[in-house]
Amino acid sequence: MDAIIQLIHVSKWHARRAALSDVTVEIEKGEFVLLMGASGAGKSTLLRMLIAEEQPDEGQIFVHGKNVTKLRPSEIPYLRRKVGAVFQDFRLLPKKSVFDNVALPLIVQGASEKDIHRKVTEALRAVDVDHKNDQLPSSLSTGEQQRVCIARSIVNGPVVLLADEPTGNLDPERTREIIELFKLINARGTTVVVATHDPHVLKYVNRRVITLVQGVLLAEHRVGEGVGG
Amino acid sequence: MRRLFYLIREAWVNMRTNRTTTIVAVLTTAFALACVGIFLLLYVNLRNAAGSLQEDVKVMVYLADRLPSGQVRELERTLKTDRMVDGVLFISKEQALGEFRVQFPSESYLLEGLGENPLPASFVVTLAPSFRSPDAMKAWVERVQTMEGVAKVDYNQEWSSLLAGLIGYIELAAIGVGILLSAAAVTIIGNTTRLALLARQEEIEILRLIGATRTFIRIPYFLEGAVLGACGSALSLGILKFAVELFRQQIQLTGRFSGIEGMISFFPLSVCLALVMAGMGLGFAGSVVSLLRVGDGRA
Repeated sequence: MDAIIQLIHVSKWHARRAALSDVTVEIEKGEFVLLMGASGAGKSTLLRMLIAEEQPDEGQIFVHGKNVTKLRPSEIPYLRRKVGAVFQDFRLLPKKSVFDNVALPLIVQGASEKDIHRKVTEALRAVDVDHKNDQLPSSLSTGEQQRVCIARSIVNGPVVLLADEPTGNLDPERTREIIELFKLINARGTTVVVATHDPHVLKYVNRRVITLVQGVLLAEHRVGEGVGG
Repeated sequence: MRRLFYLIREAWVNMRTNRTTTIVAVLTTAFALACVGIFLLLYVNLRNAAGSLQEDVKVMVYLADRLPSGQVRELERTLKTDRMVDGVLFISKEQALGEFRVQFPSESYLLEGLGENPLPASFVVTLAPSFRSPDAMKAWVERVQTMEGVAKVDYNQEWSSLLAGLIGYIELAAIGVGILLSAAAVTIIGNTTRLALLARQEEIEILRLIGATRTFIRIPYFLEGAVLGACGSALSLGILKFAVELFRQQIQLTGRFSGIEGMISFFPLSVCLALVMAGMGLGFAGSVVSLLRVGDGRA
């Protein structure tokens, strides 16, 4: 299988403290990976590096064949169009309707009116909020807002989907629904990386788990397979 | 199409969200540009006035007494073929005396005691428009003065030089004030854009994360700056037009300087359009300055 994400001896310091320390990891195309670790373990730093929000102090990062550490600033937006991102706080535009929020990545890319309508409708249907497309995010529940955020991240067909604590604001039932949704997206061929500190998520996933402790890649294992190196 | 619509709508939303700031920016820009406009109007009107006055500037070429008619005709031919000369009118000694008597009837007795007509024959020369500057006139006069049969050449040099000097000073003042107040307009619009940027920091961050290019993020702010500049400029023209009409009306009402109101002109439509475009350019520059100052990290 092809590696779609590669981190090679990546280190990053935040104010003399190692946020990531000599991390080497590969994620194959089409994989579903859980990135586990407590707050401050380096999960968010790792995800931010994958979309060139931060640069490593050492090491190389490859995403979809591109060396992220060597991208020119003008190339970064094009990387981000291939990598969808889901956030704990949803990051929806409060004054735009659900439809407009989801349409944003397509507008940015200059998609045609017809394409926008078709793809947004499909994405909203996939996350089961297509009946709320005219509403403002503030009128939705937190679970629905997270679904809209997921719809926005998949609307332009990214090759990788990164989710940073996507269930942090959700109750166990909504958490299960969101994880099921990620599994569905993954089943359609998108590589999914979910960063979470919530061990309950493991109950719903039988996939590869990468554990970070204080910036160090501690273990890799599959749920139910025991901890390996 | 939707992308364009989105960018225009975002610019409009920016302005509507920061309504007070937008109105203040348009008003202050309008007053700053109106100040520049006052100098421009003064300059344009004085230039027009100078142009019409210079058309009236005639050079008197007085001939030597008892100059043979053949030499007078030769001199007239020489003047008429001069490329710097637009028109030549011969005034004989008798015509000069007649004009003197018409213009100064109470003083005409002064000449009667002299017996012979003491007034010289002359040519009234109108110079071509491109040679009516003080320097060109002076050079021409010095050349003609040396011609055979010419006794004296006379023209109102002081008035011409004074007017040219005054126009020069107003031109300099217009440039100086223009630069200063244009910089003020750029700063005002720049600050408005900056406030809009800070207010929408979160939205900019989201746009960046979903793959918007820097240009895409910046265009609404450029549009906003350009619209603010154009509105400010258009409003300043409105203020100036109102002021000019009020001034004309006051002159007519008071009856003083009557006739001058017809000489006061406003900018032609082409200049008005150019000034609105200039305002638009200043607004755009304000946004560019602001975005550069805020930095790449944010937009």
